[in-house]
Amino acid sequence: MVETVKLTIDGHHITVPKGTLVIEAARQVGVMVPHFCYHPKLKPDANCRMCLVEIEKMPKLQTACSTPAAEGMVVRTATTVVNEAHKSVLEFILANHPLDCPVCDQGGRCDLQDFSHEYTPTTSRFIEVKRVFPKEYFSPLIETQMNRCVQCLRCVRYCDEVMDVKALAPSGRGTMTEIKHFTHHELDCEFCGGCVQICPVGAITSRLSMYEFRPWMLKRADTVCTYCGDGCQITIQTKENQLIEVMSAQGAGRNNGDLCARGFFGYHVSTHPDRLQHPLIRRNGELVQATWEDALEWVAETAIRLKLAHGPNAFGGLIGARCTNEDLYLFQKFMRLVVGTNNIDSSARYGQINGVRALRRVQGTSRWTVTFDDIVSAEALLLVGTNVTETNPITGLKVKEAVKKRQATLLTIEALEPAVGTISNIANLAAHHFSVQPDGFKPAVLGLIKAVVEENLVSQPLAQKAPGYVQAVSEAVRRLSWQAIERATGSSSQSFIDATRSFTRTARAVILVGQGVLRAPDGSGLTATLLDLLLLTGHHGLPGCGVAPLAEENNDQGAVEMGAALEYLPGPSDANDQAARARLAQAWKEELPKGPGKSLMEMIEGARTGSLKAMFIVGENPAGSLPPSAGTMEALQSLDLLVCQELFLTETARLAHVVLPACSYAEKDGTFTNTEGHVQSVRHAIELIGESRPDWEILSALSVLMGYPLEYGDAKEIFKEIRSLIPGYGLLGPAPTPPRPDQAVVESYLKTGYSSGLAERYTLGERRAASGERKDFSLTLLVTQTLFHSGKFSTRAKGLLQVQAEGAFSLNPADGTRLGLAEGDRVRVSNDLGEMTTTVKLQDRVPVGLALFPEHFDQEARRLLRVSTDPATQVPYYKSASVKVEKAK
Amino acid sequence: MTMAKPKYELILLKNMLQPGYTGSLADYERAGGYQALRKILGKVAPAEVTAMVTKSGLRGRGGAGFPAGIKWGFLPKDYQGPKYLCCNADESEPGTFKDRQLMERDPHQVLEGIAIACYAIGAETAYIYIRGEFVLGAKILEKAIAEARAAGYLGKNVLGAGVTIDVWVHRGAGAYICGEETALLESLEGKRGLPRVKPPFPATAGLYGKPTVINNVETLANLPHIITRGPEWFASIGSPPKSTGMRIFCVSGHVKRPGNYEVPMGITCRDLIFEHAGGMRSDKPLKAIIPGGASASFFTPEHLDVKLDFESVAQAGSMLGSGGVTVMEEGTSMVWAALRLMEFFHHESCGKCSPCREGSSWLVQTLRRIVNKRGRMQDLETLTDLCQNIAGRTVCAFGDAEVAPILSTLKYWRHEYEELIRTAEANGSSELLMPAAARH
Repeated sequence: MVETVKLTIDGHHITVPKGTLVIEAARQVGVMVPHFCYHPKLKPDANCRMCLVEIEKMPKLQTACSTPAAEGMVVRTATTVVNEAHKSVLEFILANHPLDCPVCDQGGRCDLQDFSHEYTPTTSRFIEVKRVFPKEYFSPLIETQMNRCVQCLRCVRYCDEVMDVKALAPSGRGTMTEIKHFTHHELDCEFCGGCVQICPVGAITSRLSMYEFRPWMLKRADTVCTYCGDGCQITIQTKENQLIEVMSAQGAGRNNGDLCARGFFGYHVSTHPDRLQHPLIRRNGELVQATWEDALEWVAETAIRLKLAHGPNAFGGLIGARCTNEDLYLFQKFMRLVVGTNNIDSSARYGQINGVRALRRVQGTSRWTVTFDDIVSAEALLLVGTNVTETNPITGLKVKEAVKKRQATLLTIEALEPAVGTISNIANLAAHHFSVQPDGFKPAVLGLIKAVVEENLVSQPLAQKAPGYVQAVSEAVRRLSWQAIERATGSSSQSFIDATRSFTRTARAVILVGQGVLRAPDGSGLTATLLDLLLLTGHHGLPGCGVAPLAEENNDQGAVEMGAALEYLPGPSDANDQAARARLAQAWKEELPKGPGKSLMEMIEGARTGSLKAMFIVGENPAGSLPPSAGTMEALQSLDLLVCQELFLTETARLAHVVLPACSYAEKDGTFTNTEGHVQSVRHAIELIGESRPDWEILSALSVLMGYPLEYGDAKEIFKEIRSLIPGYGLLGPAPTPPRPDQAVVESYLKTGYSSGLAERYTLGERRAASGERKDFSLTLLVTQTLFHSGKFSTRAKGLLQVQAEGAFSLNPADGTRLGLAEGDRVRVSNDLGEMTTTVKLQDRVPVGLALFPEHFDQEARRLLRVSTDPATQVPYYKSASVKVEKAK
Repeated sequence: MTMAKPKYELILLKNMLQPGYTGSLADYERAGGYQALRKILGKVAPAEVTAMVTKSGLRGRGGAGFPAGIKWGFLPKDYQGPKYLCCNADESEPGTFKDRQLMERDPHQVLEGIAIACYAIGAETAYIYIRGEFVLGAKILEKAIAEARAAGYLGKNVLGAGVTIDVWVHRGAGAYICGEETALLESLEGKRGLPRVKPPFPATAGLYGKPTVINNVETLANLPHIITRGPEWFASIGSPPKSTGMRIFCVSGHVKRPGNYEVPMGITCRDLIFEHAGGMRSDKPLKAIIPGGASASFFTPEHLDVKLDFESVAQAGSMLGSGGVTVMEEGTSMVWAALRLMEFFHHESCGKCSPCREGSSWLVQTLRRIVNKRGRMQDLETLTDLCQNIAGRTVCAFGDAEVAPILSTLKYWRHEYEELIRTAEANGSSELLMPAAARH
């Protein structure tokens, strides 16, 4: 029961929880107390003095932003004294403020402008000299105009308290206080845009939309960002079908109004000049412009002909998990009914499938059993294989909030070191960090489990309920020697014991599993092992506890739930679940295709060997994503029909017989399902570019021409059908209701389910003998995601390119010294597959022996990578390689 | 040292005025030093020590004059974690120079006071936040701390009583605002020295968020004497019950013998200036007095018989403040004096809150214009308005301090302002709106 207090504000009686600030209590009764420095996300600083109010029995006026409501308090916000105070504080703030509203981008949505209209006369008594700061270049994306600054320090406080970046600071004293960054080079930060969003005046603005608009000219659309699985709610603002800016309202969405660089500055993709505007057909080897009718008819005829000649299983379908649920659903329905094959896969295959498979196996859910809110209120957080800030920045903020504001214990197992002066490095906040090589995640996790077993920290109820399971796991970890674990991880047994102790003594524990696990060999097995850890410590099944695999793409989760995978039907249900098949067949009024279906890598293999004749690829670019050693390009070239639905002429689209211009998320309606399983509305912000069409519409048109019409009026109709198949899908509330673990599945796992593959999961494995490893290949190259790029389009976002436009080969300074390399040197990186030339960057956070290269600039680096496919989950792995490094001639 | 033969029995300055007294540990011990600490450590309960200090009526000597014992009593009673004592040695109030002398000349007296306070409040760590410019003082304190530690008066297991008292000297970096207790804490934590919003008060959430007491150097230096000679003795000095004990006044300005004078609270301004400080330096009569540091309102010759104790000075419209008494003779331009003080405050305004940040720059520019004979009559109304709009509306007491010189000069010497403005109007230069700042 929350303790409450009753108070009176301007005659309104209100009861609020104890600790509520007067300014918030006032808001609840509809009284707006003017303010600049107060922000609900930040600790009160009470520096602007604008929110002074009268409180009975207090001699002086009090700041409403820093005074907690108390029982019986009587607050007045509109007396003569208070009005005079507001007026006088504004007079002070305006004294040095320039009268440049006509050229200020904030004009029209400026707190200072609004309050000035409300409180001050039009002429000023200030006839002295205004303080003028010399204009300084701040950064390519963020513009500062310090003469306009009201020194509320919201930006500084946000950068510290919320982002934990601390890039900004007030410098100078008194009226000469200005907001700066610490060094003399231009701003170097996460570019989350938070300072731009939180500035109440026009002191910090975005350079991407400078002088382009007045707020009242803008059309707004609330939709969902597509850059990662976090699913942030954004408001896209447009003027005459041009994208002007993106913001996220305070408190909006699962991101609570916070964004990252990609969300805030990466919005220029949809209107990129390279967007495909018309259908293209290959004629005489060239892709040439065509009409929709010609293109669709050609596709339908060719497909029908090939289906008659080779049967439906000569077709394959691949869809990107950046499409809406409606697109994904209709795609799998198209493939299963119109074409009649189970050869369906999506980009969730690159890693998400590993996580889902493990969750389904151990606890019978396809989603997280926790939400972002549980991360915030977790007492212990274990992050495995993810520098979460770079891959899922907003999930990262939840982790930061838990650690910084709520003193959660953070454990990290990551191929990065904590390092001074490094931002976007979650390990810096860790209480226990295990810095491992990419193949060291599993040994480190096993180290934790060994500590649980050997320190007698195994949950007693579990030991009684499932003695066989506990015994089997205990024996498995006892067989591993601490020496071997220490060798494989570089961490001492004591550090595992310490970390385990601080993890097990908490009541709420969440494990976040990142791409370092999910996109590496046996990602599914290691995720299951992490579930073992939670089972053993007794956290599994408790409220607020769970294992959460992080989705890389914005609708990875939706792709699985819509059944855009050979092994899943919408739900997801297992493709060989007879009851589910029957239900679906009844709803679709058609039998489902039989047979196992082919996965991404099997389809490529099929194309190469000739068993696959045609492919429909929607928003996915395997020729660009997979390394050349996978032979994707050659395989796709040998198809008789390759149809691509795309925004841009990607590597894959270049190989197609027909390219159909699809529209981007900014032009369509539908839903996305984020990493925590929250289904959110996507709303179009601009009109369709050129002749582009939503993916589902294209598929629907094709289905008609292919004689099996799947007709829908709009995306909502498809969503209705989805809902009829998956009851309650996407309640569209403010927060998801996570599923509980299915007890029957958990029990069956504890009884016998655990045993299959147990031996493999509980061995340390050889130090990865990446094939072709040789002594002179002295570094492990790891291709990773960076903060400024994600997904397939970010390299077309001009804002993001201004922050990061090329890749660099990052390695530890010690390795630099060993190899005789300095920052900025050109190096030749090679192995038996190929070579590349790039630039060296020395970073303390890269562990010795490892080298990182950003995957968005890895066209050359990909030549060094070899693909292996997980035998169980068919996930292709190609993120690391052993390489030799030498100074370029 | 410009002390005349003292009229009263000195307490704080007594040792250092002995011939040959060096302030070393040996000297201090010979003079009876550290007996107070011996008397209480492990023998008198901390709560009793606090009670003694409360009973003595000792009030803060830094400026606000808050009763020391009561301040200690605000610490949470059953708190288990670390607590801190901060000795505020940032003495930056213009016209104030007593703490410097106490630290440089008799450092162990301060340290013993710190040790007693630590024992009373249960703090194992004390920080002396010393003004950056006091390089000598910091060195002397460091040396004294080393001596005291070696002799077992500080450190682990002080005097075998199982009490830990560690004292560290931290030098400030040159900001007046860091004498404000919460800004001091911020600075001590390594952050930018800006005052904090209160509540929470330092007693509940101070240094590193832990319960903290901040006492001025002179306040702490009084403690050994209160313990040795008893609270009743202390309470009998000065003008009890509200202003007990001796007070060191730092007399400066147009007097014959500027310097530190330790006198009982409650002597009159006249006594202090004419008896102790030797009277005016020339035959010009006295014109104005600042009775308690730059933040205190001016007094006129009419106030010469005001008693220098907390209540009397407050009643007369000023404050006893830090004990910095600045005397000005006839012929001093009070507008110029106000400008000089305002320039200081403008330079030192930290910039955290709007009224003080913007107001100080506005005030200083307007004053500059008036002094430079470019004022307008309506400026006087604006000045008054601005001062009233700053006072009471800022985060810390700086806002109240900075307006005192202007409001009091406007009150007593308004004609001087008007005269300057009339000259300006006669010259037609009021209309020249060329900014005054541009000429500086």
